[in-house]
Amino acid sequence: MDFFNIFIKAAFIDNLVLAYFLGMCSYLAVSKTVKTAFGLGLAVIFVLGITMPINWLINTYLLDGAINGLDLTFLRLILFIAVIASMVQLVEMVIEKISPALYNSLGIFLPLITVNCAILGGSLFMVAREYNFTESLAFGLGGGFGWFLAIIAIAAIREKIKYSDVPPALRGLGMAFILTGLMGIAFMSLMGIDPAALTGTK
Amino acid sequence: MAEVKTATTTAVKEPLFGKKERKLITDPLYDNNPITIQVLGICSALAVTSLVWPSLVISVAVVFVCGFASLFTSLLRNRIPKSIRMIVQLVIIATLVTVVELTLKYLSYPVYKQLSVYIGLIITNCIVMGRLEAFAMANRPWRSFLDGIGNGLGYGAILLLVALFRELFGKGSLFAGSPLGEWKIIGPNADYTINTLAESGIGTWFSWYSNNNLMVLPAAAMFLIGIFIWIQRSWTPKLVDVS
Amino acid sequence: MERTGYIVLFTLAMTVLVALTLSFLFYGTKDQVAINEDVFNKRAVLSAINSHLDTKVDDLNDEEVLGIFDKQIEQVVLDMDGDVLDGVKAEKVDMAKEKKKPEADRQLPLYVYNADGGNKFYILSVRGNGLWDEIWGNIALEQDLSTVVGASFDHKGETPGLGAEIKDNPAFARQFKGTKIFDDNGNYTSINVRKGGAKDRTHEVDGISGATVTADGVGEMLYRGIKYYQPYFNKIKSPSKIRG
Repeated sequence: MDFFNIFIKAAFIDNLVLAYFLGMCSYLAVSKTVKTAFGLGLAVIFVLGITMPINWLINTYLLDGAINGLDLTFLRLILFIAVIASMVQLVEMVIEKISPALYNSLGIFLPLITVNCAILGGSLFMVAREYNFTESLAFGLGGGFGWFLAIIAIAAIREKIKYSDVPPALRGLGMAFILTGLMGIAFMSLMGIDPAALTGTK
Repeated sequence: MAEVKTATTTAVKEPLFGKKERKLITDPLYDNNPITIQVLGICSALAVTSLVWPSLVISVAVVFVCGFASLFTSLLRNRIPKSIRMIVQLVIIATLVTVVELTLKYLSYPVYKQLSVYIGLIITNCIVMGRLEAFAMANRPWRSFLDGIGNGLGYGAILLLVALFRELFGKGSLFAGSPLGEWKIIGPNADYTINTLAESGIGTWFSWYSNNNLMVLPAAAMFLIGIFIWIQRSWTPKLVDVS
Repeated sequence: MERTGYIVLFTLAMTVLVALTLSFLFYGTKDQVAINEDVFNKRAVLSAINSHLDTKVDDLNDEEVLGIFDKQIEQVVLDMDGDVLDGVKAEKVDMAKEKKKPEADRQLPLYVYNADGGNKFYILSVRGNGLWDEIWGNIALEQDLSTVVGASFDHKGETPGLGAEIKDNPAFARQFKGTKIFDDNGNYTSINVRKGGAKDRTHEVDGISGATVTADGVGEMLYRGIKYYQPYFNKIKSPSKIRG
């Protein structure tokens, strides 16, 4: 599959939040306003786009029997999470140096991303689905973009729903869950679309 | 976030299962449930809740990882350098999860196949990390261990409840894919309740039931949790979210 | 606050400890895990001929599964022209890797089960695409190389309760028993998975409601996958018989 197919598939059809529930915690916690959701969404695209190719390199050239045929796959989880944690740290430092304004709006979310399941999930899916380097980059960016879309959408709905008469016990979290479910169903209508047919590569 | 009182280190010897210790286990089951109240750890594992059996396996794994990660973190809490705290916690969790993964591969390969990616995702299950930060870094090993177990159980309880509804109404069965074999409970092919009922003369109760495909969709899990939260907060008004 | 030296030392100690623990566990369980994986794959192959086994696959223990493979199963590997490749065992063929190769270079694993009565069953491996990801299966043919004895399917990531039913619901695979991959005139029809219920039970099976894409994927996979084996089957069929 080519870059564009995987991107579309990861962003819309295999949406990390709506189809796999990945990154739910920060998705629910940081979706009260669109502004903060936007910041976190961007950060996720960024970190997913960076960590996936790095983890691919590590998995292919270090773990998968590349060194003297040693099977080191049991270290995969630890290495992946270490890469993610250190990348997040690095990104945080770089952004702080280059653009303090961006850091102020994004900075507080960055540490959250380390424990965002979507990031590690992306890397694990990449291994399970045997993507190659460009495919993993596409999957990272596409998955991040899908996550971004989902959190922006839920934040916008939650901003509006404040003016609705929701039963008190359902307000806030309960409603957020139900909304996510409805969005998931809406995204399901994209299921079965064959991206390859769209781009004419098949 | 959880408002867990930091246990004061007293000179008095703490009982193994005192009132406070019991509370550490029971609190997360309802009053301070990790999913419905603390909003932690909804992530990964919900995707396995379409069937009861994988949910059970994941729950056991989370209880194990959560308990022992809390224990080890608490043991090391005064030695861990502050600046690399997060990484150290993650390494502890990742190691335990790898242990779970290897054990599963060793003991039951089919279950491992079924859960593959989701086992790894326990690492980023925010409950584990959240409890390490909120509790284990400031408390004694035994209490942290109990707190971890309690939160794992609270998480598992919701997971199983969701799975119960989804499998029963979505598939008409329970425990599909488990060593116990699949129990067909309701629907035309039911060979459990229905037959026994028919024999006892009551007749067939649920044979008209046809599976609800909505329940097998991921979205159903979200609806169910939303409804659980609704019920819980109606019962216990102090939990209502004011924002 | 803390000295850098301490941090480095702590990190080193932790790394060594963790690496040692895990490698110890990994190498301790490695052999058993390899056996588990082997048995897992072999069970999948055997479940295609489940109806002809004395004990059902689920009731066989691991040694018995390996025993059947040792004694009663011939493992053949074919190339796309239907020639037998020497010195390779079918279980060594990785279908996932084969699927990525260009069609002409693929290798096909074939398991021939010699039943106690002298009958032979041919178990073919097929692989294709479902809704989310790859699906695969094994399908067993009788000696006439047309009648299906049974099938088993598996998948990487189909929706549980919908697409995943191809594996989880034994009734789906059971429908294949007795179907034929050739019509009466000897034309290749494969077995179609029909949405809304099969009309012609000899060449069709029911689809799964709500999982049309996966079901279509199964149909496509069977059509293409079984066809790959035809050059070989034409060679072993006596010339007087119908042609594929």
